[in-house]
Amino acid sequence: MRRIPYLWTLLLLALAILLSIAIGSVFISPADLWRILTGWLSATSLSESLQTFAFIITSIRLPRTVLVLLTGAALGGSGAAYQGLFRNPLADPYLIGVASGAGLGAAVAMSIQWPYTFWGLLAVPLAGFLAAMLAILLVYFLARLGKTVPTTNLILAGVAFSAFATSLTSFLMLRSTGELRRAFAFLLGGFTQTGWNPVLTILPFLAIGLGFLVLSGHALNLLQFGDDQAQQLGLPVTRAKTLILVAASLATAAAVSFSGVIGFIGLIVPHVMRLWFGADYRRLLPLSIIGGAGALLLADVLARVVMAPQELPVGIVTALAGAPFFLWVLRRAKNQGYW
Amino acid sequence: MFRKLSFALLTITLFMAACGPSATATPAPATTQPPATEAPAATLPPTAAPIVLTDGLGRTVTLVSPAQRVVSLAASNTEILYAVGAGAQVVGRDEASSYPEAASALPTVGGWSGFSNEAIVALKPDLVLAGDINPPELVASLEQLGLTVYLLPNPTTLEEMYANLETVGTLTGRQAEAAALVESLKARVAAVDAKIATVTERPSVFYEFDATDPAKPYTYGPGTFGDLLIQRAGGTNIGAQLQGQWVQISLEQLVVANPELILLGDSAYGETPEKVATRTGWEALSAVKDGRVYPFNDDLVSRPGPRLVDGLEMLAKLLHPELFK
Amino acid sequence: MLKVEGLSVSYGQRRVLHNVSLEVNSGEVTALIGPNGAGKSTLVRAVSGVIPLDSGKISSDDLSRHYDLRSLPPMQRARHLAVVPQAVSLPPAFTVWETVLMGRTPYLNFLGQTSARDEQIVHLALQKVDALDLSERRVGELSGGEGQRVLLARALAQSTPILLLDEPTSNLDLHYQVSFMELVRGLARNDKLAVLIALHDLNLAARYADRVALLVAGEIKATGTPRQVLTPELISDAYHLTVQVVPHPFMDTPLVLPGK
Repeated sequence: MRRIPYLWTLLLLALAILLSIAIGSVFISPADLWRILTGWLSATSLSESLQTFAFIITSIRLPRTVLVLLTGAALGGSGAAYQGLFRNPLADPYLIGVASGAGLGAAVAMSIQWPYTFWGLLAVPLAGFLAAMLAILLVYFLARLGKTVPTTNLILAGVAFSAFATSLTSFLMLRSTGELRRAFAFLLGGFTQTGWNPVLTILPFLAIGLGFLVLSGHALNLLQFGDDQAQQLGLPVTRAKTLILVAASLATAAAVSFSGVIGFIGLIVPHVMRLWFGADYRRLLPLSIIGGAGALLLADVLARVVMAPQELPVGIVTALAGAPFFLWVLRRAKNQGYW
Repeated sequence: MFRKLSFALLTITLFMAACGPSATATPAPATTQPPATEAPAATLPPTAAPIVLTDGLGRTVTLVSPAQRVVSLAASNTEILYAVGAGAQVVGRDEASSYPEAASALPTVGGWSGFSNEAIVALKPDLVLAGDINPPELVASLEQLGLTVYLLPNPTTLEEMYANLETVGTLTGRQAEAAALVESLKARVAAVDAKIATVTERPSVFYEFDATDPAKPYTYGPGTFGDLLIQRAGGTNIGAQLQGQWVQISLEQLVVANPELILLGDSAYGETPEKVATRTGWEALSAVKDGRVYPFNDDLVSRPGPRLVDGLEMLAKLLHPELFK
Repeated sequence: MLKVEGLSVSYGQRRVLHNVSLEVNSGEVTALIGPNGAGKSTLVRAVSGVIPLDSGKISSDDLSRHYDLRSLPPMQRARHLAVVPQAVSLPPAFTVWETVLMGRTPYLNFLGQTSARDEQIVHLALQKVDALDLSERRVGELSGGEGQRVLLARALAQSTPILLLDEPTSNLDLHYQVSFMELVRGLARNDKLAVLIALHDLNLAARYADRVALLVAGEIKATGTPRQVLTPELISDAYHLTVQVVPHPFMDTPLVLPGK
């Protein structure tokens, strides 16, 4: 399996996509799925009941599948980047404040009644995104020391900011008890907006952010030796770290703005990929992106069916399913020095 | 450091219709269906004029003919639908819609943790009746899927609640029943008003709807129906002096206010007068000493539907038993 | 050759290097000695560009071309000088081959794509340090001595005329100390490298260095041959410890012994 990592992860992703399209809170039997598919391919019109199912697949499940895929990709990729950047196995995309910033922004936006217009409906995700990016900016400048940004400072500033932001968010949530449930749902993670708009909105940021990260594998490898050695080997360390941080945070903030705070994917997927396929970031990053997409898709399928027709917040599923799975992988790992 | 400019640029170039509300990208499979089984005929004669109303979000909603397949996304909406006689026209409900009992037989499409768009679409509704309790994103999503959604806003007065009844009546072709219901409700309220007009004292009431922390229980503040109905039923709501709608009162304040009655709106969650008597510090309250702690069905003051009048009557009986033998 | 002139470095308000000047000739090993806290590591870091300078010049003269190293961006500077740090807390998951390959970074594009030539150079570097048989081992599994040799190979893979080593023998046992120093001296001679090595063991310096520079409290107190610098007066003064310097029993170098 080490030999052909891309094949295996892409297969996993393909399977996850298939499941995400085939399974939902409305049961569509495999026979019906087959009939719909053949109907499309032969361009014949479908019967009434099948039409509803087909509609569900194209208008509800397909856009959602793509949104979940992109979100998982963003979380997996930025998780791997953060772990490489901070050289810390506990690092995840929310380490320096993206989640807490987004949560605060969303909570503030939710306490305001927006008009029912295009921009009004975009208010909450937009507020989440802006707040997330402002949080990173703030943390970055708090951590800066002259011309360098030591990683320890970043972590400390990030933790401090997160503590502040989450307590502020809790306070806001308590104050506007009417929106409490909505804000809580955001913090647990879930996909409330449908259609292609969320996908199109976040796609540019993910393309830029993840695209850059995929190219940064070599730089991340060098950073594993520490800032000093990386610089001595020729890497412009501060610039590289800043760009990687920006790219990862951009992708995460865009994903979080529509999906809320989904945990564990960014932490666990890179570790699993590392255990299975090694610690070379040139490979680890793209694999984490693919793996993150597949993992979140599977979690979302579970979230949709476990309590159908109600949807469990995805963040709960990722935590419940992710932690034991990770422990299992860890125990089976033969490489002790995998990190 | 983070290019918000590109975000603004990119959202502008998105193809989403900037006009918002009535954008329908893909048609739903069938917006009109033959009525389900043997529903009694709508009282409105088949008419060519479509129904056009403005909902709680300011959206213009158009129905070609009265809705025959309604999905209700709020418990209060379900109650209203059944109350105006449109029960047989309801095909789906949310998890919390527990009243009337007939509603429990309907398939659910979601609840507190979110709704399933698929389940709603699969029921092929011609109208989705949402409430303030549903987030605007949900309305937008359903609209985008080609469904007709009407958001019934929360009323703040009984008059607004009557208006909601009439609106639902119009939407479902049950105007006559709705009008009759409103008349009977007004009569009952008037009867209570008449009796209460004669009282000389207004007992102070503490209404508790959440006592997870017995040192800081939740009560209804000004602007809520709980507060309004207590006043109307001839009582004084302790919570009226607080700020906000769903507010906590500290035990100290409660002891100082010393209400004559305590109503347990959280009796559905297991609170009983006996349990209240065992709470530390609560034994000092006169209401506890006098045994004037009563369980109360919170739905009757929190769900903005016709049962608010039931709530009013029940409150009046508790507050002034001598007037209601 | 490496030329450092008037180098001054501060950590915040505290000045840690004062006006340091020294020359490291190609083909020679220059040992940098001094007590703890003298600034040896700081000097190595400053010369390699990791910490900013208050003032000073760092230049390299190589076959009649003069390079001002201080003004070069990291990628360019890394083609002129390579650093061998102490082999502690290295990322354990990379193989020896992958680690040494990172030494080629200054010549690779942003993606780090390597060519056959890069692989050849890595092969040669590993050969020189006699670690070729370790190629596929994970760095986390290596002993201290092996790890140190791997880092040396990495620096050699960088193909630079100047080599800086920061106390590489500190964690090595006697055997590895000697073999490592032999290796370094051999490389300096054969490949005409200018080698500056910070050492805490004075006798290793005495035995393997062609020149010695004594750094005390951020200042160069003396430079010269081992015999010139390793005198009882200078060393006792620098280390606050009475020492005696005797001729080595079987080598033509001084031997420093603590005590009266």
